[in-house]
Amino acid sequence: MSGATVAGGIDAMQALPAVPLQDTVLLPERIGELTGLDGFGLGGELLATFLAAFIVGNLMLAMTGVAGPWAKRKITAAFTDRIAVNRLGPAGLFIIIADSVRLLSKELVIPENADRPAYDLAPIVVASSALLGFAVIPMGSGIHLADPEVGLAYVFAVSGIASLGLVMAGYASANKYSMLGGLRAVAQNIAYEIPLVITGMSVVIFAGTLQMGEIVSAQAEPLVTIAGVSIPSWYALVNPFAFVLFLVANFAEVGRNPFDTPEAPTEIVAGYQTEYSSVYFVLIYLGEFLHIFLGGAIIATIFLGGPAGPGPAALGIVWFIIKIWGVFFATQWLRSAVPRVRIDQLIEIGWKGLLVLSFANLILTAVIVGVVT
Amino acid sequence: MCVRSEASNVTEMNDWIAIGALALVGVLIPFGMMTVSYLLRPTVPETSKRATYESGEIPTGGTRIRFNIQYYMVALLFVVFDIETVLLFPWAVAYQDALAAPEISLVRALGPMLLFVAILLVGLAWAWRTGAVQWAQTPRQLETDRQ
Repeated sequence: MSGATVAGGIDAMQALPAVPLQDTVLLPERIGELTGLDGFGLGGELLATFLAAFIVGNLMLAMTGVAGPWAKRKITAAFTDRIAVNRLGPAGLFIIIADSVRLLSKELVIPENADRPAYDLAPIVVASSALLGFAVIPMGSGIHLADPEVGLAYVFAVSGIASLGLVMAGYASANKYSMLGGLRAVAQNIAYEIPLVITGMSVVIFAGTLQMGEIVSAQAEPLVTIAGVSIPSWYALVNPFAFVLFLVANFAEVGRNPFDTPEAPTEIVAGYQTEYSSVYFVLIYLGEFLHIFLGGAIIATIFLGGPAGPGPAALGIVWFIIKIWGVFFATQWLRSAVPRVRIDQLIEIGWKGLLVLSFANLILTAVIVGVVT
Repeated sequence: MCVRSEASNVTEMNDWIAIGALALVGVLIPFGMMTVSYLLRPTVPETSKRATYESGEIPTGGTRIRFNIQYYMVALLFVVFDIETVLLFPWAVAYQDALAAPEISLVRALGPMLLFVAILLVGLAWAWRTGAVQWAQTPRQLETDRQ
């Protein structure tokens, strides 16, 4: 946020709605208008809301479909100087269809000692909890499902449900590797949840709100103007230290390299998902990718100006997707380039490093904002 | 502070209906995939196919055993810090407004939060010293505990 806004306090904040980026019309209402469903009273509104949710859900599912069977292979292949999938369709893109059919038509083998209800529910919990977070993310071009006032807290709360699914998967499989993986997953998630939320809070100090739409609007203010080019006050530029902290904590929270100890293939086979096959494996795998994208969406929204970018506001969704794919690319880069940390190192980095640093960041941000004001 | 116009107040309720709709979609998609898979997949029951995977060896013992989680102290610590973050959110939201108000000084806006965080950091320092924030205790620490 610029110095002028900080000095102006409330007055400047109320001047913000003039910013054109943020649509105040949410997706359900827009669909209601476009299809004429809003003329049918409550039932029509509910149907329009469901349609909007369906669009958002499937948009994320489509991105996961591209990322999982195709982009992940291509990126890893590029890092290791290989070609990867290239036979089906242009650049091997049709492998997505082939792989979906292949994975879904695998036999479902359920281990004999599994705890049945928990074993079956875990994949659903992992996949749904990730999808739920996207409800409050403003994706630009009018794709924004809901904008409650507690948006940021809601996103953190919902993405935390996934750890429950991982523990369920780990414990109910009745497999030693799975249990170790589940135990590691919960230890890791609780170690990095606090730094994540505390660092997110340092953004709330600037924005003065938890509402995602307003956090995005607050970042549209120009920070500095260099040679006629106005640089927006994205919080990654205002507070780069918080951005780096959040990025690291987020990689740990979604269990990506170098923090992928819960499923470390060279140590505990596949961790909590060792005993999962067929559609259950697909759901857990899908949930993991959705969580990477949800992490990317949170980073894009609170640090990178959400759907903001050059060009008309209608291009918002394009910029937003570029940003979250940037975060996804970073996870794949780290996967190819950085060795995994040991589980005891991971815990110490979380509790003794990131936690202390995130509190230092919060207090420093508060003091600096206070003194500047 | 609320920037959204009056028109959006009418839709205040719709936010949570939309989130509920996404929850419904989020459950329908996995169930849809499970149905498709149910229709596609073969079932070839074989003896020992369902045995617990232990790298190809015959599984020994179960997982329903008592295990020592040396890490449980951290779980307690997590609950404390998590509640703290929830309590800090309202402060973070109100902070700039408080600074802008002329009758509230910087010390009054910042002081209570610093005190609140300081108390918890003392707790963290204690946990750090006793070795609670570690994945496993070193043999020497276990030795000290036993004595």
